[in-house]
Amino acid sequence: MYDNYLYFPATAALYTVSVITVLILIAGVFASLTLWMKGKAPSLHHRLNIPALVRAFFLECLLQVQILKISFVRWIMHFCIFIGFLGLFAQTALMAFMSHFVPPDTAIAKTFFVSQDNPLGGTGARILDMWGDVFGLLLLTGLAIAIVRRYVLRVPQLETILKDTLSLTLLTIIGLTGFICEGLRLTDPAYASVAAYSFVGNFLAGVFTSLGWSAGSYQNWVWTHALISLFFCAYIPYSKAWHIFVSPIEIMLDASERA
Amino acid sequence: MEQDEKQNVQEATTEGGAATTETAVPKIPIEKFSMRQLLELDACTRCGECANWCPAYDQDSREPLTPRGRARLFKDILSRQHGVFRADSLLGKLLGKKPVSLDELRGFAKDLYACSTCMQCHYVCPVAIDTVELWEKIRECIVDCGCGPLESQKDLVLKTKNYDNPWGQPRSSRARWTKIAKKKKRIQEEPKDILKSKSPVLYFVGCTASYDNNVEEVGINTTNIFQAAGVDFGILGVKERCCGSVLLRMGDRSSFVSICTQNIEQFNGLGITHLVTSCAGCLKTIREDYPKVGALNFKVLHTIEYILELIREGKIRFNREVPLTVTYHDPCHLGRHAGVFDAPRELLKLIPGIKLVEMERNRENSRCCGAGGGLKSGYPDMQNKISQKRIDDALATGATELVSACPFCYQGLQIGIQAKNAPIRMRDITELVCMAMGIETGAQGDSSSAGAE
Repeated sequence: MYDNYLYFPATAALYTVSVITVLILIAGVFASLTLWMKGKAPSLHHRLNIPALVRAFFLECLLQVQILKISFVRWIMHFCIFIGFLGLFAQTALMAFMSHFVPPDTAIAKTFFVSQDNPLGGTGARILDMWGDVFGLLLLTGLAIAIVRRYVLRVPQLETILKDTLSLTLLTIIGLTGFICEGLRLTDPAYASVAAYSFVGNFLAGVFTSLGWSAGSYQNWVWTHALISLFFCAYIPYSKAWHIFVSPIEIMLDASERA
Repeated sequence: MEQDEKQNVQEATTEGGAATTETAVPKIPIEKFSMRQLLELDACTRCGECANWCPAYDQDSREPLTPRGRARLFKDILSRQHGVFRADSLLGKLLGKKPVSLDELRGFAKDLYACSTCMQCHYVCPVAIDTVELWEKIRECIVDCGCGPLESQKDLVLKTKNYDNPWGQPRSSRARWTKIAKKKKRIQEEPKDILKSKSPVLYFVGCTASYDNNVEEVGINTTNIFQAAGVDFGILGVKERCCGSVLLRMGDRSSFVSICTQNIEQFNGLGITHLVTSCAGCLKTIREDYPKVGALNFKVLHTIEYILELIREGKIRFNREVPLTVTYHDPCHLGRHAGVFDAPRELLKLIPGIKLVEMERNRENSRCCGAGGGLKSGYPDMQNKISQKRIDDALATGATELVSACPFCYQGLQIGIQAKNAPIRMRDITELVCMAMGIETGAQGDSSSAGAE
C-alpha cells in the first residue's frame, strides 16, 4: 500500500531538467527584452491612467470581454485555455512551493502535500485534486474547440504556422497526460476513499481498470507529463504562448493612452 | 508547415526589387521605435481578426498584406538584424538565421504600402495594438533604408515638399478658388486674409479642397455657412501650407516635422481661438499628430463640430426642407482616428427633411474608401475596387445621396461611383447644411445624374 510510485518525489534528474528549462526560458525572455529595449522613442504620449489600466486588466485581460463581443465560441475557447492554463500552473507552482519551502510537519503541509508518510493528505489535497480536474478539463475543452476551428473547420481567418501547431500539440499532450497520470494513480484501491474528488481521474481509473491497466506505469507517465510540461515552459518566450504575458501589457497601455 | 512559413516570408519579400548585393543592405533603425511598438510585434496573437476587416486584404488575399502578416514579417526582419540570435551572430549562425537581403526589404515595403492606414485593424484587434502608429513608424524606417515610399508615391512627397501641396500646384493659386467663386457670385465676399484681419477663427481649407475643382464646393459651402452665421473668420490663402499628412503617412517623418513645426509656429502666432477644417485628414494630422511635435494654443475642430457649436449658439438656423434619403460614410481620419462619430449624425438629424439610413458597416466599423495612406497613388486599381465595395454598401441602403465629411473621401468615393455608374450622388455634408440654410449650392437639386458626373 502507498508504494513509491504513487507520488512523484523531486529527484536530481528532475532538478537538472528544471534548471535547463529555466535557463532556456530566461534566454528567451532576455532575447525579447533586449530587442524591446533597443527602442528609444517614448512609449507613451500621456501619463499613465491607473483606473483605465486596472479596468482594462479586469475586463479585457482577465474576462476578455473584447473577444466575447466578437464571438461567443472564440471567447469560450480562449477563456477555457487561459483559465485552464493559469489554474494548472498555479496548482503546480503551489505544490512545488509547498514541497520545497514549507516544513512537512506543519499543519498546512499535512493538509495539502501528499508524501510517502502522508499519502492521502488532508482537505487541502482534496481541493487540489478537484482543482486539477476542473482546470484540466477547462484547458482541454478550450483546446478541443481551437483544434476543431483550426484543423477541421479550417476557419478562413486562421493562418496556421508551425508555432500554432506546436503550442496546441504540447498543451493538449500536457492536459491528456495529466489526466492519464491521475487515472493511473486512482486505479490503486488505497485511494478509493478520496477518488471521487478527482472526478475525471476517477472516471478514467475505471476505464483503465476495465482495460487491465495498473498503476505500474505511473512513474513513466508522470515523467512524460513533467518533461513535456517543462519543455513547454522553456518554449513559452519563443512561442505563440508568449502573448499570455505580452498581450496584457499592450491592452493596458492602450487603455491608458486612450483614456 | 515550417516550410509554408518560410515560403510566406519569401513570397512577401522577393517581389519587386532589383537584385542587389548583400553588403548594401541597410539596417532598420530600431532605436526609432518605442519599447511599446517593439513589444506590440510580440503581442499579436495571430488571431486573424484584422484579416476579416482589412480592405486591402479583401482585394488581394495575400497573407503579407494583413496586419498580422506584416507584424510577423517585420519581427522576423528585426530579429535577424538586431536580435540576440541575429544572422551575423554566432548563435544566429548556429541556428541557421539568414541575413536580410535588400530584395527582402523592398518586397516587404511594397506590401507595407498596400495599406490605407484606415485603422480598422486597431479597432478590431483583441489586443488593441496601436497598428497605424506602428505602420507609420515602420514606413519611416523603410524610408530611412531607402526602400520606400513606392515610386508612384514619391511624386506626392516631392510635390508636397516643393510646392507645399501634394497636387504639385503653384502656391500662388491656392486661394484662386475664392476669387473664381466671388466672380461667379458663388460667395458674397472672399474670406478674409487672417494675417490682416486677426480673426479668432482660422478656416484651414486644406490642399484637396483648395486645388481640386471637383471638390471646391467644400470650401465654397463652408465659406457661405460661416459668413451667413456671422463668424469672424479668415483663411491663410497663399500662405497656407499642406498639413503634412501625406509626408507622415508615407513615412517621410523628417519632412513632416519640418512642415509641422512651421505650421505650428504660424498657427500659434495668429492668436486664434479655433482652427476649423473641412478635411478629415487635416483634422487628424493637426489635432492628433501635431501635439506630438509641439503644443498648440488653440482648439482644433472639424467643420461639422464647429457648425454644431454655431447651431447651439443660435447662429445657424435651418429654414428649408431637404427631402433627401442619405447615408453617411465615416471618413477614417475623422471617425476611427479622431473619434468623431456622433457629430455628423447629430447634424444630419437636425436638418429638416433628411432621412438618414445607416450602412451596415458604420461608425467604428465603417468600410474605408481606400483613398488614404498613399493607397490611391500606390495602388489605384485596388483603391478603385475598395471604393466600389463602399458604394455597394451605400446602394444597399436605398439612399440617393452618399454624404461624407472629407474632400479626400469625396474624391475616393467618386471613383467608385463613376466606375459603377452608380445611381447615387456624392455630397459633402456642408452642401446639405447650405441647402437647409437656404444658401444656393453649385449642385443643388441635381441628384439624379450622380454616376454620369
